[in-house]
Amino acid sequence: MKPVALALVFAFAGIPVLAGVGVTLVEAANPVAWKALLQYPGIGRTVAVSAWTGCVATIVALGLAHLTVGLAAAAARAERLRTLILPLIALPHLALAIGLVLVLSPSGLILRLLSPWATGFHLPPDWQTVQDPWGLSLILGLIVKETPFLVLMLLGARAQFPVDRLMLQSRSLGYGPMKAWWVSVAPLLQRRIRLPLTAVFVFAVTNVEMAIPLGPAMPPPLGVVVWQWFTASRLELRAQAFAGSVLLLVVALGALAAAWGGTCLARLVLRAYAESGHRELRAERPFRVLALLVGVPFTFAISAMAALALRAVSAMWRFPALVGDHLELRLVAQLAPSLKMALGSTVTLACSTAIAAIALVTLINESLIDDVRWRTRIGVLLFAPLLLPQLAFLFGLQSLLVRLGLDGTWVAVGWEHTLFELPYVWGLLAAARKQLDSRLILTARTLGAGGLRSWRAVTLPLLLRPTLLAGAVAFGVSAALYLPTLFAGGGRVMTVATEATSAASSGNLRLAAAYGAAQAFAPLIALLFATLIGRAAFSGRQGVPR
Amino acid sequence: MSVGLALRSGVAILVFIFQGAIAPGHAQSSSPASPEIVEIERRGRGTTVYFNAWAGDEAINRYIAWAAREINRRYGVTLVHVKVADIAEAVTRILAERAAGRLSEGSVDLLWLNGENFAALRNANLLYGPWVDRVPNARLIDTLGNPTTIRDFTLPTDGYELAWGSARFTLFYDSAAVLDPPRDPKSLLAWIWAHPGRFTYPRPPNFLGTSFIEQLLLLLVPDPGRVQHPVGSDFAAVTRPLWAWLDAAQPAMWRRGRLFPPSGPAQRELLGVGELDWTMAFNPLEGSRAIAQHELPDTVRGTSFSGGALANSHFLAIPANARNPDGAMVVANFLLSAEAQVRKADVSVWGDPTVLDITVLSESDRRLFGEQSAASDQGPGGVLSEPHPSWSAELEREWIARYGVR
Amino acid sequence: MSRLILEQVTVSLVRRPRLLFAPLTLTVEPGVVLSVLGVSGAGKSSLLAHLAGALPPALEARGRVRMDGEVLDGQPPEQRRLGILFQDDLLFPHLSVGGNLSFGSRLRGTRGARREAIAHSLESIGLAGFEARDPATLSGGQRARVALLRVLLSEPRALLMDEPFGQLDAVTRAQTRERVFDEVRRRGLPTLLVTHDREDVTAAGGPSLVLESCLEG
Repeated sequence: MKPVALALVFAFAGIPVLAGVGVTLVEAANPVAWKALLQYPGIGRTVAVSAWTGCVATIVALGLAHLTVGLAAAAARAERLRTLILPLIALPHLALAIGLVLVLSPSGLILRLLSPWATGFHLPPDWQTVQDPWGLSLILGLIVKETPFLVLMLLGARAQFPVDRLMLQSRSLGYGPMKAWWVSVAPLLQRRIRLPLTAVFVFAVTNVEMAIPLGPAMPPPLGVVVWQWFTASRLELRAQAFAGSVLLLVVALGALAAAWGGTCLARLVLRAYAESGHRELRAERPFRVLALLVGVPFTFAISAMAALALRAVSAMWRFPALVGDHLELRLVAQLAPSLKMALGSTVTLACSTAIAAIALVTLINESLIDDVRWRTRIGVLLFAPLLLPQLAFLFGLQSLLVRLGLDGTWVAVGWEHTLFELPYVWGLLAAARKQLDSRLILTARTLGAGGLRSWRAVTLPLLLRPTLLAGAVAFGVSAALYLPTLFAGGGRVMTVATEATSAASSGNLRLAAAYGAAQAFAPLIALLFATLIGRAAFSGRQGVPR
Repeated sequence: MSVGLALRSGVAILVFIFQGAIAPGHAQSSSPASPEIVEIERRGRGTTVYFNAWAGDEAINRYIAWAAREINRRYGVTLVHVKVADIAEAVTRILAERAAGRLSEGSVDLLWLNGENFAALRNANLLYGPWVDRVPNARLIDTLGNPTTIRDFTLPTDGYELAWGSARFTLFYDSAAVLDPPRDPKSLLAWIWAHPGRFTYPRPPNFLGTSFIEQLLLLLVPDPGRVQHPVGSDFAAVTRPLWAWLDAAQPAMWRRGRLFPPSGPAQRELLGVGELDWTMAFNPLEGSRAIAQHELPDTVRGTSFSGGALANSHFLAIPANARNPDGAMVVANFLLSAEAQVRKADVSVWGDPTVLDITVLSESDRRLFGEQSAASDQGPGGVLSEPHPSWSAELEREWIARYGVR
Repeated sequence: MSRLILEQVTVSLVRRPRLLFAPLTLTVEPGVVLSVLGVSGAGKSSLLAHLAGALPPALEARGRVRMDGEVLDGQPPEQRRLGILFQDDLLFPHLSVGGNLSFGSRLRGTRGARREAIAHSLESIGLAGFEARDPATLSGGQRARVALLRVLLSEPRALLMDEPFGQLDAVTRAQTRERVFDEVRRRGLPTLLVTHDREDVTAAGGPSLVLESCLEG
């Protein structure tokens, strides 16, 4: 079974990425295209904005994530933290971005809450709080989304170290909890999250979905520019778009190199800090205020969701009213045919691809249970699509699909969705499977159950909860996918993600809010389902892993 | 203004604008009886028509969805609305198909377009036709009263595209904030300076934004006739007053010209929430429709420049490699029927003015039009002819070079 | 040199009346090693955790802990100046041996002075020149020595040890034990040693007490 599993993995995950990148590089080897690319007005700004927003957002998100995990460790609330952040992770990037626009803009939720009683405004002020040239609103959006993900990764890493004892050791040496955390625990965790952190970083630098509503517009970040060239469907722009994707890749690599340099520097600074022996306990007290920052991503995420809901039902959301004077489920109902269809496609795709991903991962898990080397390799391979800017290989992959006559088919879209779900499903299920005591299965077999039976009787039930969780996460990933749906579907497959993006890019915020709300709630419902079913099953048994 | 009075003045204005000689004889309404159309309908039954149309405005999408249901019910034709953000995408696809040798099984059956897109396809000989004569309801169009129905941005349609609705560049404003609406570029500039941050226009190359600057150009140049001819080496000199106006307006515009709404509907939303006092559209009844559908406050009014407004028609065309030209003609015929045109012009649906000559319609159909709710007080500016299609690309390029990066 | 005093100290589950072990009242004199024995689950590690100031939230403690006159209850671990040694040496893998020691050291002064002092102390435990070494490359016994040195450099007033020799082989164990007890006596630190190895108790040469579990089973 092993070679079959390996072949499947390579076919599924390896080929698209390799082929995609290959074709992109080949098609981009066109000097005319590069000339046109470099002549784009503001190309320098475009690249700079992408790099700047990506770097700042990731650094801040990382700091916040460490702070959050550190505080939770001190308060021994790690498990509750995990439950709290899962919904944030399931929230799609685009829905969050649209919601944030509706919160931050001068006619948005914040100013509505404060006007006119605190601000005296009867009309929205002419402030560029969203789509500002420095990309601050984009940075905020990225932070809100990346921090929970990094928290989850850090929590996973944390489980592998005797954190409580390390903390106690350092504190008994006289250090306050903050310095103890930063010096003795954080570096160990940091080492373990390098791969996911790279994925976060690349996404932050090259993303399209959050940058469309939130990012600067004149000129937009590089990802958006390349996306515009692709969706314009003008032949002369196509070659340019390929060149742009390669440039995107180069920018991402450059940013990673800078990050690596920064990490080395940070390591030196940390070492000096650790070895200085300073134990200023009093100095730590003011920094406790930083604990407030931990709530920032939550607050913004929740207000974004509220704003989405408010905008979707308010026909005329005139400033400074919080709710439109015409509360209209009518628009939502009017959208009903397109909304229903888009939602239907989204849910079908999400469910079927989640099942496919779980099936594939289970197959690999079972056939490679003992082979640590291959498991690590597969882990890295499956992670590859997240480490590259999506535009860099999706574009090339689409060319290939066109040549094979597969573009625009549900198979192609489903394939790409599964591709992007695999890293998450693998991350969750492989870890859960590893933690399962192998002696339980051995016992089952010595009791006479064959391979398949022991799997069904022992492994499957014990892995039910992680599997359900993985399914919910995969569902959320699928519902959020925009670029893969757009490219593989040739613009013909309509999901809430594609409709929301097109509405957001043409500035129809109300329509975007309606689709965004649908896009946001679908994965949350899936997560709720998964949790409830998981809890209901084996509710009496305490030994079943969560 | 009472509803009754508004109604009557609305219809009167429509008739006044599109008045023309009453075509003798043809008291045709929308029940065609020619054997040719019967044959076309027979061939089209059971087929699918891929209609590529701009999907940026939900009101229009809802109308097309209604039309699809009706067409399916009456003619057994399945109309699929292929939503595009810019019709140029469909033009590119047709060009690409021709380049790939796909001469008969094209993916586009019917297109909604005008201006440069029509010019591109016509000049490349990629349009099916002439076919307009084969569609009976085409005879109901008021070609005399509205010459833009047969002349698209200075190019004659020659039966290759069928006028679907008429357009007139209209500015909409919140009368609660704009007490004395400016009617010419100079006073508009003065208004902008007096009310910083309350005016803007969609970002070119969005077609509405481009039309706004074309509109300004036509009103600011000493010789508007120059713009009817293809763009040439005197571009900089001709357009100088335009850029001067835009430069002067920039610092007082919404977001100080550092950000523009991406489309007309986006700007309409900004007016609705109160960030702007102005929006613009090619549909003169846009304001009424938006008020009726609770998207804009009822203080919104429409106006146009006293020097004249850009007026044109928008059209339906069939690509030469269309897979289903018969089905496309059935759809086109329905869309030009009085019933479809009335519903289209209804401000509670779309509000797009009709191209039909109401006077040649049958009694019952004429009454359908009479029941419509009113337009806005547009004021009697004249009509400006559209510039030559080559100007828009150049204007867009120059605009992006000057203002595209802030 | 102070004494470590426990007064009616015991630990229980939060809001439960049942105690893990009977209340302890004892005094540990400077330089004396008190061995604490008992069955697993009897609460030995919880006692140490409480003394260090890091009792898990599921447990609560009663009684009073003092260093001479100073009451330690309510103080966070970093203020108590009680050194703790665990079974795993818990040397930070991302710092060198010297870095670990420097972290523990309370010596003020220039970087150069500190480095010299660290080098000197490494010599005294027979690990001269090990400053730049990666802790993972040291043997178990060497690591235990470095861990001990790290704690001692932080100038604790007392020492708590939770089965610190458990991971070592018999020979290293004996050697390390010697070292630890020597240092403890030399510096006059009252020490609590949790263990279930009788040989540890004998080598410690101090009083011992057996924690009897009050819980059933």
